[in-house]
Amino acid sequence: MRLKRLFVANRGEIAVRILRTARKLGIETVIGVSVADKHSLGAEMADRAVVLGPAPSAKSYLDVRLVIHAAKATGCDSLHPGYGFLSEKPELSRLCESEGLLFVGPRSETIESLGDKLSARTIARETGVRTVPGTDHMASLADARAAAAELGYPVVMKASAGGGGRGMFKATGPRELEASFDKSSREAEAAFGDGRLYLERFVERARHVEVQIVGDGAGNVVHFGERDCSVQRRYQKLIEEAPASAVPQATRERLHEAAIRLTSFAKYRNAGTVEFLYDVERDDFYFIEVNSRIQVEHPVSEEITGQDLIALQLRVAAGEGLGLRQHDIKITGHAIECRINAEDPRNGFAPAPGRITGWQAPIGDGIRLDTHARQGYLVPPFYDSMIGKLIARGRDRNEAITRMLLAIEHFTIEGPKTTLALAGAIVDHADFRNNHITTRWLEDIGLPAFQAK
Amino acid sequence: MNIQSRDIDALIELFEASDWDEMHLKIQDFELFLSSDAKARSPGALAAPAAVVSMGAAAAPAAGRHAGGASATTPPLADQAQSHWVTVTAPNLGTFYRAPKPGSPPFVEIGQAVDPETEICLIEVMKLFTTLRAGVKGILKQACVQDAAMVEFGETLFYIEPA
Repeated sequence: MRLKRLFVANRGEIAVRILRTARKLGIETVIGVSVADKHSLGAEMADRAVVLGPAPSAKSYLDVRLVIHAAKATGCDSLHPGYGFLSEKPELSRLCESEGLLFVGPRSETIESLGDKLSARTIARETGVRTVPGTDHMASLADARAAAAELGYPVVMKASAGGGGRGMFKATGPRELEASFDKSSREAEAAFGDGRLYLERFVERARHVEVQIVGDGAGNVVHFGERDCSVQRRYQKLIEEAPASAVPQATRERLHEAAIRLTSFAKYRNAGTVEFLYDVERDDFYFIEVNSRIQVEHPVSEEITGQDLIALQLRVAAGEGLGLRQHDIKITGHAIECRINAEDPRNGFAPAPGRITGWQAPIGDGIRLDTHARQGYLVPPFYDSMIGKLIARGRDRNEAITRMLLAIEHFTIEGPKTTLALAGAIVDHADFRNNHITTRWLEDIGLPAFQAK
Repeated sequence: MNIQSRDIDALIELFEASDWDEMHLKIQDFELFLSSDAKARSPGALAAPAAVVSMGAAAAPAAGRHAGGASATTPPLADQAQSHWVTVTAPNLGTFYRAPKPGSPPFVEIGQAVDPETEICLIEVMKLFTTLRAGVKGILKQACVQDAAMVEFGETLFYIEPA
């Protein structure tokens, strides 16, 4: 490995995850932490830990110049940004390039072009990857009626200038479209001073399906199958699994092809995720966005492929290429991940930082726990509330579910309130077992069922 | 609320004139802990303040550093420090410079008198230089870090004997 000393510009479980792989590959490590994380597991594991600044992220983890200065002053040759914080800031990639550090992520221009939603949609169109079908501005009701007939009902009418749902309405047929068109336009005019409307196909029952890829920066991209992350609350994923077995095999193959087409066109370098909205009724999918970083839920893809995605990130960052081809990646079994957040799901998911007074982690076949927490750890109030990810792998989905439930049952966390019991209730729910989840399911059915218990 | 060095100075004077054992002040992310007991520690606040002035050398934490470090800096000579000395600590990680430019004499020599507003060193982050001021009136007794060394947040840079 060309990398000699890696700077880890992150905290929590992902810092621990990166350090584990770096250690395995014989790469020296330095971690930059805030004073609140001075005694964290990551700070202990790294060969060296330096305190960047005070606890607030803006003065520590989010200060690009401080992070780069620390990496250079400690003699590092490379920098891993983890997820969140600075991981998708083009400036970090750009500064690494100009300061002679290898950035474990895409080139800055790739982050810029894929990070901007409109330019990412343009790339998608150029590579023949569909986005949610929609129209330009509708000049009249007659135009809207014709366009809606072509898109297929239901459709959603949105204000061009809009946001916050104003001027927005859903129409299941031409009569509803006629009834709301003028009113919607007036509402948009009043709210934004712009009454122009456009139409989009409305996806009634959607699943969030994403493809894990790694690219070498020269146009070679391989995929590691897809994940289903439909269990969400307010766009925050709670449970992820791989493969997305509710989606027909042929559709999944089309998803992989689309993801590879789009990212190889962009000569993507790094691990990345191409996110899609899967339309359950139509068995069709639409591109949402590319996440140009390692993701929280990467372990489920690792579990079904036996690959180390962090190691691959380091390889391609070092310019050593992928070192494997698509046919080397075999997908077997099923894996589920539950995020454990220090939040109270019975009290509006209020953050619950504090001292972990009891911690007994489950062990067993196919069980993996990615965490920075332990007995006596103080969950600080300054950062993301996630304290760990529990992953269960099985030969099939049922076995993964059984193992997950057993692991949750044998997992004791005392001190802060957590989402562990909620995760158990979801995985044990008939709708989850039968794989009938959509992105609305948790808020509409799963949570009310849990809170009623 | 913006805390100036002279405010801290005034607070220290107030504390010294009083018969209090401890004073603990917290305003947003600013925190000040004064104690007449050299062994005292600020009561467990995680969020260390951006600017720390603590009484007593024993209460000054040495920068956390462990094996495998890439470069070494001189450890603070805390054993010689007097309990009533005031520490000046690094507001963030950066490179420490005692002089305004290479080859010039330091901002302040050891043994020289300082005012709260006296410039005592520079902290550089990616060629952006921040000037640190003494924060108290007194005599500069000790510099704890070698010139041009990397310092971490909270690391003790100087000891000043308050006048």
